[in-house]
Parts: sequence; structure tokens; C-alpha cells
Amino acid sequence: MKTLWELKAKQAAVVETINSQLTGPVISRLQEMGFSEGQQVVCVRRSPFKGPLVVQVGDCVYSLEQAVAEKINLALAS
Amino acid sequence: MERIVLVGKPNCGKSLLFNQLTGLRQKVANFPGVTVELKTGQFDQFEVVDFPGTYSLHSLSKDEEIAVEKLNLAVDDDDTRLVVCVLDAARLERSLVFALQVQALARKNNKAVVFVLNMIDEVERYGLDIDIKALHKELGAPVYALSAKTLKGVAAFKEALPGLAKQAQAPTELNIQLGEQRKFIERARAINAEYGIRSDVVLKNQNRIDTFLLNNVLGGIAFLAIMFFLFQSIFTWAQPLMDGTEAAIGWIANTLTGMIGPGIVSDFLNDAIFGGVGAFLVFVPQIMVLTLIIGVLEDSGYLARAALICHKPLSLFGLSGRSFIPYLSGHACAIPAIMAARTIESPRKRLITMLTIPLMSCSARLPVYALLIAVLIPKDATFLGVFDLQGAAFFGLYFFGILMALVVSTLMNVFTRKSKELKDMPFILELPSYRLPHWKPLFQRVINSGLQFIKRAAPVIFVISLCLWTLGYFPQGAGLENSLLGKIGHFIEPIFEPLGLDWRYGVAMIMSFLAREVFVGALGTMFGMSGAEENIAGLAAQIQADGLTLGAGIGLLLFYVVALQCVATVAMLRAETGKSRIAWGLYAGYGILAYLIAVIAAHIF
Repeated sequence: MKTLWELKAKQAAVVETINSQLTGPVISRLQEMGFSEGQQVVCVRRSPFKGPLVVQVGDCVYSLEQAVAEKINLALAS
Repeated sequence: MERIVLVGKPNCGKSLLFNQLTGLRQKVANFPGVTVELKTGQFDQFEVVDFPGTYSLHSLSKDEEIAVEKLNLAVDDDDTRLVVCVLDAARLERSLVFALQVQALARKNNKAVVFVLNMIDEVERYGLDIDIKALHKELGAPVYALSAKTLKGVAAFKEALPGLAKQAQAPTELNIQLGEQRKFIERARAINAEYGIRSDVVLKNQNRIDTFLLNNVLGGIAFLAIMFFLFQSIFTWAQPLMDGTEAAIGWIANTLTGMIGPGIVSDFLNDAIFGGVGAFLVFVPQIMVLTLIIGVLEDSGYLARAALICHKPLSLFGLSGRSFIPYLSGHACAIPAIMAARTIESPRKRLITMLTIPLMSCSARLPVYALLIAVLIPKDATFLGVFDLQGAAFFGLYFFGILMALVVSTLMNVFTRKSKELKDMPFILELPSYRLPHWKPLFQRVINSGLQFIKRAAPVIFVISLCLWTLGYFPQGAGLENSLLGKIGHFIEPIFEPLGLDWRYGVAMIMSFLAREVFVGALGTMFGMSGAEENIAGLAAQIQADGLTLGAGIGLLLFYVVALQCVATVAMLRAETGKSRIAWGLYAGYGILAYLIAVIAAHIF
């Protein structure tokens, strides 16, 4: 399974699950911010030196650091 | 008074709507130790309360917990007549998740709800529209489309508002209970699919600007240019205002003491009130200018981008990308920098940032640096044959401050890692659309920053100023050397001995607790010079003739880089952290650290 952190720039995918290593409140916040099952995500850009990546989720653009992005599991979109 | 509650997600234009409803007269309530700000204003016979923008009723941090708790209380309160949920018309899904939760909360408390579809102008700009009537039916509550920026629809909303607040609304037929979290998300998505506009249309502009401003090369250049501009403007814009304030205070002091005539009262007014308390008013313009610039950056949407760019390098030291602006501002003045740290998402990183800001070489240290560098380094000496040695020394002191801040923050990060109270929040940052800032909320914020500073720092500064003046003035007519303060200086001289300094420096260092630049004037007095602030070169020559050793001089300089010699900063830290223990502990901690560094320097050189 692929995580959000492995997404390359301009690549799209669909959110599948969120790793339960994150605490419950953080998981639900991520879901409320749009990272819920079945939601399409597009990687807008990658930053150099493993800096935060920028993703578009529904109607918002977010920046996430590696520690969070690698806890979001994806299913690749067609 | 009957109350209207205003809620919405961050960046939905809620503050501007609040301003349009209430005008410029508003009150801000702060809570010690947290960043929660509740703004209250008046509309018609109603009190309007603006709650901080948030994504959810389920809190992640202490700050959010308090905000949610206050919202629960407000919705429950009998005086509350209406809850206004502000939605971003261009981001319906995201803003609905929170709005639907609030609607459920309001229903539980039998309170009426109205939805405001703000920023409708952005939707119309793309030639799109939203079916308001159908949305009204779907949500089971009135929906008003408006733009707080262009004022479209605002008049109609204002007209309808009293009626909406007065008539009891039939409870809506929404069958989601609070706590059924998934259902809110699903319902928001379903409503958005039906009524929302296509997101890629809205995000196209923003993404286009970001390809430039977040570009690895061009974005970096833009970042440096913006930060350089910010830094310059603090000095160039704030300086005339600061000079003006200083002149005004001096004029009032002269006029007033001239009317009273010489004597203890006039000495007290001149030195303790205008000299002590007045000296800190000089910083108010600087604080306001800095707040204005940071406000422009935040409202335009660039602040989030700057945080993104800085996040990785700063995270190596246990800081957040959002620590950058506070650190940069700290080079002008620690007080607005500490206020700017409010935007940091993680409580732990926020605390670490606030506690290390005082290590940045603020402008109050400049006179001290200038004096001691002039004493220690000959004017035309060069470094490596090209660089002016005095300039290089200035640079070195700034660099030493930053280095110390990074070392201290790394250590604090290691020691607070297990703290349960200081939760670390993951770095998830919304990149909002680029917008032109609106002057009304900005103006409010600038005024508030000045008032807040005065309210928080004035009492402490008054007390300290009074104590120092009393100690330095009595027994009357004895002069500083034979005053109580001079006696204390003589008594504690052994403390300054390892630094290679005598009691005169000790007294000047004690007096500079009021503000670092007082050191210059106080030392001047000890050397029998008045108005040393205006004649730094003259005082430097006197100190040279008196024989200050290189080691002692360097030690003194490094002492001023590290020591928290600023009562206003201590007062601000106390207010922002909510704990005196932290503020005074930090004062003692940096004092001891500075002392040790100075002792080592005195022995090496």
C-alpha cells in the first residue's frame, strides 16, 4: 500500500485509511479536514530536502509534514 | 443583553463580516496562557461575539478546548438568540463540516441558526452561482449569500438579522446527533456535491501563484525579498514614530516639571515616571508597525507559505515553520514577536519559540553593543583585511544570539518531549487563497496590540521603575554613588569581580533591568557624564581611559546578548504563558547562563 508521502508531484490518488498510530483526535481532525475514505487527493508539489508536501484535497490545499503524510494510506486512482 | 454568536472555519472571512456588522468599536477578551481571543461588538441591540475560526468541535489542543468550551457555554446561555454559521461559498464542503456540527449543537440547546454564504463574489467571478433556496431547504435553516468584502448582500442581511434573532425558529429536521462524526463529514460532502462549485476552478488562481511563490529558486528569492522588506520597514517606518513618541514624552516631562519647579516631586516625575514608564512607551509604535506588517502577511495568505518554506530547517531544532516570523521580529523587539508566536499550531513549539525569542538581539541592545564595541575595537581595524572589524563584531553578536536560541530550543525540545500537558500537534497547514487584506480588521488588530502591551507591561514597569528610582534617589542629594543603590552595588561587588567589573558596572546592570538601553545612561552617570545616550563616543573614550579589560568587555557584551534584561518582556511572557513561574524562571535562567558565559569570556580573553 502506498502512503501520501510517496505521492509524486501532479500524481492523484484516493484516501483509503489513516494509520492508527496517530491519536484518535488527530485522525478525526484529518478526516474533518478532508482526508476521509474515498476522497481524491492530488499532490500539488514536493519540497526539497523532504520538506512538507502540498496536497489538494477537495476544495482545500494543505501542507503536511512527513510524520503525518506517511500515516495516510492511499489507493492509487485510475 | 441579547446575544448573537458568530462561528466559522478559519479563512472564511468571518472577522471581516464581524467588522461590517459591529463597526470599529469592539472589545477583545484574552485568556491567560492560551491564544483564544473572543471579540465582542454591538449590532443594533445585540451583542455580537466572534469566536476563533476552527475546523471542528472536537478539540486537538488546550487552546481549541477552551474555545469549544466557551462556544458550548455561549450556545447554552439563555441570552443567546441566534448562531450565525459563516461558510466560505467557494469551499462549501470544508466549511460545512464545522457548521453542521454547530447546527447540531444549537439544536440541542434550542437555539436558532442562520447560515451565511460568505465570499459569494468569488463564486460569481467565475460566472457560477449557488441555489440559495434549495440550500435553505436542504439545511433547514435560512441561508444568506453575501460578500463581506464587496458588501454585496450585507445590507439585506443586516436588515433581516434582528427578525431572525427574535423569532423562535422551528427546530430543524436534521437527524445527526453530536458525536456522530462521520455523518457530518458525509453530509457535508453530499451537500457540496449537490450545491457546491467545482473546486479546481477556485484553486486554479491560487495554485498558479504558488507555482511561483513556492518555486525552489524563485520562491526562495521572493521569500528573502519579503523578509528583507519586513525587517527594513521595522527600522525605517518605526524609527520616526519612535523618535516622535520620545520627543513628545520629553516635551510633556519638561513642561510639567517646569510648572512644578525643582524638588523631589519634579525629580520623581522626570526620572521615575517619564524616564522609566515613558521609556517603554517608545516601543509602542514599533510593536504596532510590526503587527501591521505581520497582519498584512497573514491576511494576504503569504504567512502560511512562509511557514511551509521554513518548516523543514526549523524542525531540526524542535521549532515549527511558523517560528520564523517571530524569530525575525524578535530582532526588532521581543514583545510583538512573542505575540506573533500565537500562530504556532503546536503548544509545545509555541512555548519553545516564545522562550527563545528574547535571545534575538533586539533594537534595545543596539546602544549597549555600540558603546562596548566602540570601547573594545579601534575604529579603523579590519577583519581579514576587508571587513570593518566593528561591523563584523556587530554581526558576530547577532549570530551568537541566534546560535544560542537554536541550542536552547533544541535542549528544551529534548526535555519537554515527554510532557503530556504540552501536546505536539502535527504540522497540517491550510494554504488559503491569496487575498488583498482589508484595512478594517487590520486596523483593529494594530490598535489592540498597542493597548494590550500597555495594559500588560505598564503595571510591572511602574513598580520596577519606582523601586529603582527610590533606591537611586535616597538619601536625597547624595548622588548615585552614595545612594542606596550605590551602597547595594558596593555590597554586591564580589559578584561582579569574576567578570572583571567593578561596582559601577554592577549598578548599571541592575538598573538596565528596566530596559537594556538604560545601561548606557546609567553607566554615563557613574562616570560623571549626563546624557551619555547622545554621546556614546565620549563615554567610550572615558571607559577606555578608565581601563576596561578586553576579556571583561567581551564578557559584558555576551552577557547582554543572553540575559533577559527587559521587564516588559518578562511581563509579556507571564501574560502569554499564564505562569509567573515560567517568566521569572526564564529571567533567572538566562541571567545565570549569561553570567557564566561572561565569566568564561573574562578568563579566556
